[in-house]
Amino acid sequence: MTQETTQETKIEDKLEDLQHQEGPLLEVKDLQVDFTTDEGHAVHAVRDSSFSVYPGQWVAIVGESGSGKSTSAMACLGLLPGTGKVVGGSIKLNGTEISHYTQKQFVSVRGSKMGLVPQDPMSNLNPVWRIGTQVKESLVANNMDVSHEKRSDLAKALANADIEIKSEGDETFLGSKELPELIEAAEQALVTIGVTGDDLDKHMAYFRGEWVPGSETRWRVADDLIKAGVKDDDAWYIAKKYVTGSTMEDRIAGLLDEAGLPDAATRARQYPHEFSGGMRQRALIAIGLACRPELLIADEPTSALDVTVQKKILDHLQDLTNSLGTAVLFITHDLGLAAERAQHIVVMYKGQVVESGPSLEVLQHPQHPYTKRLVAAAPSLASQRIVSVEERGADATALMEHKVNEDSLEHADTVIDVEHLTKEFKLPRRKELFKAVDDVSFQVKRGTTLAIVGESGSGKSTVANMVLKLLEPTSGTVTYNGQDISAFKGKTLLDFRRHVQPVFQNPYGSLDPMYSIYRSIEEPLRIHGIGDKKSRAARVRELLDMVELPETVMQRYPNELSGGQRQRIAIARAMALNPDVIVCDEAVSALDVLVQDQVLHLLNDLQAKNGLSYLFITHDLAVVRQIADDVVVMQHGRLVEHGTTDEVFLHPQQQYTKDLLDAIPGGKLELGLDL
Amino acid sequence: MTDITKPLPGQERYVAPLDETPLQTVDTVDESAPASSMWADAWRTLRKNPLFIISGILILFIIFVALFPGVFTKNDPNYCNLDNSLEPAAAGHPFGFDLQGCDVYARVVYGTRTSLSVGILTTLIVVAVGTLVGAIAGFFGGWVDAVLSRIVDIFMAIPMLLGAIVVLQMFRTITSIWKVVLVLALFGWVSTARIARGAVLSSKNLEFNTASTALGSTPTRNLFRHILPNSVSPIIVIATTSLGSYIVSEATLSFLGIGLPTTTVSWGGDISKAQSILRTDPMVLFYPSVALAITVLAFIMMGDAVKDALDPKSRTA
Amino acid sequence: MGKYLLRRILQMIPVVLGTTLLVYALVFALPGDPVKAMFGDKPVNEAVAAQIRAEYNLDKPFIVQYFLFLKNALSLNFGETFAGQPVISEIGRAFPVTIKLALMAFCFEAIFGCVFGVISGLKKGKWYDSVILIVSLLLISVPTFVTGFLGQYLLGVKWRILPVTAGSNPGFLDLLMPAMVLGSVSMAYIIRLARSEVSSNIAQDYVRTARAKGMTNTSVTFRHILRNSMIPVVTYLGQDLGALMGGAMITEQIFNIHGVGFLTYQSILKGEANMVVSVVTLLTLVFVVCNLLVDMLYAALDPRIRYA
Repeated sequence: MTQETTQETKIEDKLEDLQHQEGPLLEVKDLQVDFTTDEGHAVHAVRDSSFSVYPGQWVAIVGESGSGKSTSAMACLGLLPGTGKVVGGSIKLNGTEISHYTQKQFVSVRGSKMGLVPQDPMSNLNPVWRIGTQVKESLVANNMDVSHEKRSDLAKALANADIEIKSEGDETFLGSKELPELIEAAEQALVTIGVTGDDLDKHMAYFRGEWVPGSETRWRVADDLIKAGVKDDDAWYIAKKYVTGSTMEDRIAGLLDEAGLPDAATRARQYPHEFSGGMRQRALIAIGLACRPELLIADEPTSALDVTVQKKILDHLQDLTNSLGTAVLFITHDLGLAAERAQHIVVMYKGQVVESGPSLEVLQHPQHPYTKRLVAAAPSLASQRIVSVEERGADATALMEHKVNEDSLEHADTVIDVEHLTKEFKLPRRKELFKAVDDVSFQVKRGTTLAIVGESGSGKSTVANMVLKLLEPTSGTVTYNGQDISAFKGKTLLDFRRHVQPVFQNPYGSLDPMYSIYRSIEEPLRIHGIGDKKSRAARVRELLDMVELPETVMQRYPNELSGGQRQRIAIARAMALNPDVIVCDEAVSALDVLVQDQVLHLLNDLQAKNGLSYLFITHDLAVVRQIADDVVVMQHGRLVEHGTTDEVFLHPQQQYTKDLLDAIPGGKLELGLDL
Repeated sequence: MTDITKPLPGQERYVAPLDETPLQTVDTVDESAPASSMWADAWRTLRKNPLFIISGILILFIIFVALFPGVFTKNDPNYCNLDNSLEPAAAGHPFGFDLQGCDVYARVVYGTRTSLSVGILTTLIVVAVGTLVGAIAGFFGGWVDAVLSRIVDIFMAIPMLLGAIVVLQMFRTITSIWKVVLVLALFGWVSTARIARGAVLSSKNLEFNTASTALGSTPTRNLFRHILPNSVSPIIVIATTSLGSYIVSEATLSFLGIGLPTTTVSWGGDISKAQSILRTDPMVLFYPSVALAITVLAFIMMGDAVKDALDPKSRTA
Repeated sequence: MGKYLLRRILQMIPVVLGTTLLVYALVFALPGDPVKAMFGDKPVNEAVAAQIRAEYNLDKPFIVQYFLFLKNALSLNFGETFAGQPVISEIGRAFPVTIKLALMAFCFEAIFGCVFGVISGLKKGKWYDSVILIVSLLLISVPTFVTGFLGQYLLGVKWRILPVTAGSNPGFLDLLMPAMVLGSVSMAYIIRLARSEVSSNIAQDYVRTARAKGMTNTSVTFRHILRNSMIPVVTYLGQDLGALMGGAMITEQIFNIHGVGFLTYQSILKGEANMVVSVVTLLTLVFVVCNLLVDMLYAALDPRIRYA
């Protein structure tokens, strides 16, 4: 243990020395990027921004959408979209100025010196080409030698292997053709030195797992054999005889395997639409790293994925880049992720760098007001349940103690009672039914918030739709105030709708683009025939005031408002009929941290004022901590764990819940210490 | 561990001076910008599009000619005197005379009304029938959709011109322009129905319908209040573009001699009559052709401009 | 792929039946007596008329007529013309000419449409993009018969480059101008389609990813932008091949080409109902088969369809 630690520090020192020696790999100084509007005006997307990346270092750029973080990174690759243009400053790669490069010149550095892992795995692979072909394009474009490993000098200098690489040939890759013979020879060698039984099986299983054609090199095979006890000379003899170089197909499979894609050789022959989001992202990582670039630009590489998948992929990427000595410029909106993964952090706001420095230091002791605000709003495991304005004002001591509405939880009666809820769907061209929700039961108590947490495909939204009576359950019941909602029809259904209101995930989709804000908020009043024209107008004003939007937005249309503003309109619309229960289906997931924080506070204040009950559907555990009193964890349609928020967070009972908690980026880090 | 190591050169702690990037309140509404609905936005885009301005002026002019042909010529298009046969242009007769001795300019002016009426009437019928059928198919889905879609497929498989000729042949004795209008509509409604079905299907699946249902709205109310208004733009686009193509079809049928009767003044008929003298007097054929082409061009350009303004792809925000 | 194809073929059957029924109904169920038309101006001999009615099954109920027609059609027996010629032999003479014309028009529109459309899409906003766009707008606006006359007048009469009309047994040069005229409108549509496809594909994320791999502009253009743009263009082209054969009527009329369109038009004027139904049925079949080919091509070009 101690030995390993010292070795690690030794490598770190060595790395630091090298970084000092070589200077920054990427150096951006006073960068200015302009976009031209249709009218010919220049919009300054990035202004006077400077940052640098050293070899082997992870640097994070954080900021909200529109802060210029992606634009800065794309400028380095010469891939600015549309009318984007670098109008000032310098970008140096290994000391060479590249900001004035033509597209032709950029071709020579892309792929081989700088790789890209883009944001959206769904749109970044061409649907008409096989995955393997798209990896191959990268290798072919940069004339990569597919039978020998290319490693950066940094990786070589850092390699902590005891084996010295003697010649070029030692970096030859293993080919798939020779693999069976190699395995056989290895087994023979082990038997010769007297390894038998379980030991032999263990070694052989290890070999089979590690020796991936197109990824494992001769010296590593030799190293593995020597570690298993085979004599040096014999090990090298076997390695030299059977590790003789890989084909293009082997190398493609090897790269995909390195990116963590199981069964890579078969997968390489498939098309993108046959892959899940996580698998596509792995393929994109393989593409980005295919030509062993010195710098990898990762633009929100895991934002579209579930937290557990995100963690796996990032862990893998980190191991991979560490062993290759690749520097990573990591663009993210997630402070936790930046704190956890990067050594250096750059905070951007409105196209400018407002703060930068060692990541932990910046995030624990933020100095710029914007960073402070960002850190304060970032949900994390450490955060507490939001306290409403009234409580904040009324009693300062209660604020200190307040965690969960425990009183209300114990004494309140049940508003929504879900019993053994099951929903089955018929899948196209399949006989067996798919159980989206499987025997789920829980209660929502009056005046409290129950959160349903789960990853995509957990069935949480299906539950929400059944509670809203937008979907009929296959079996089980939902009762509202003691009445079974399945019996509601006509007038009783209308009455139910009046009391149970939804706020949906997509702030762009849930408001009719053809309706003015006034009409949108007025719609429920009209449907239920409440009030006359004048009183409805007064109510709309009141509601807008409630969600802290100016009256002037009434005449506006959804497309003029931001996501957060639309979500507040949706909340105002839901509040129009004075409901008892609001079902929030991922209501804050699409929003930036600051806006998300604002909407969560709004929801919380409304709850305190109006005694609302919330059923809060989300994939984000950190948000749950801020808003929920009770938590239900769902996986594959089943209820995994159910308890109060504190119970679930402090003493999770189930492995899945623990995994989810572990996967929260930066969950264990305390940020914003001085706030 | 990271906080112990000293930052590398150039990566020391940096905090921007506050006055450089003044902090703005989170998520404020820009109250200075003018309010804009989808239509207001589309109008703003259109106003700046030269294609729209040119085609708009042309269309207004064409409509004016169709409504008040007398303003442009004092000559009777049906007054033909064989003495004037193929006489060149003269004072008051800028385009000269055709084989029968009719005034070409007067006939071009009066032909506008015929072409435009056929185009507009056909479009109105097609939009009404196509939207109705498409909306029903898209909204109800299931077997209703299956049956209606097959019917659309059947009509789609018959080339429009061929079908129109077969039907028109049966009604040679009828001289009203409604004959041509109805026949063009009979084979034209399917493409609009297809577009309308697609538009209804896609807006049916949008979240605001679910939201509306959860507010207590009924499916029928959703159809009229949300789905149809949101399906209007693609229908407008195809209506504008096909208006031009109906004018072409009418001219083609008249040219073949089975569209409008020879007694009706129409560009297609005049072009047909002029083809025999193409080699000697091409100008007689030229004038109605140009009038026809300009009219069609105006509507197609208008369709393009409207499409640019209403295209959902360009309206992502 | 096999299943997909089977499904498409099964879907085709009701369309073919429905379309032929519709055509049959339009021709036979509408007012006008085809038998009387045969006698022309001569007085109708009722005995002969009844015999003819029996021969053409016109005395039977409409739906029976239709099925008898279908049965005969399956064995390529379309009956005889008024002059006593078998319909099938007349069609057999006309079809090859039209196929030749349609294929030439198809090649013309495919080659020039794609080339100009792609250039236009890649260089959006350049002066030649504007020129190409304006020309394609003009081609769409000007009716085929006007384009035809213009071509005849300029190329044939004035400059004497190409023959003005084709005649009964046309060669390549005779058909060159008609093919260009016939293909011109579709070419304009292909230009517009290819242009918008190319320019929207340029902005796709996977194109940026391809550039980030270090691929040269040429290979990104061919492998990603053009390859993906081809899918809708090929679909349009396939459907158009069927439509070209049906739409050749005007062109054949203007250039005096004795193809299917010419035959149909003459038959309609003469009231040869049998011939009209037969030709329209065959053309519809061609159209439907072309659509099936398009579906197969579509599946071959787009893996998402193939495995759906």
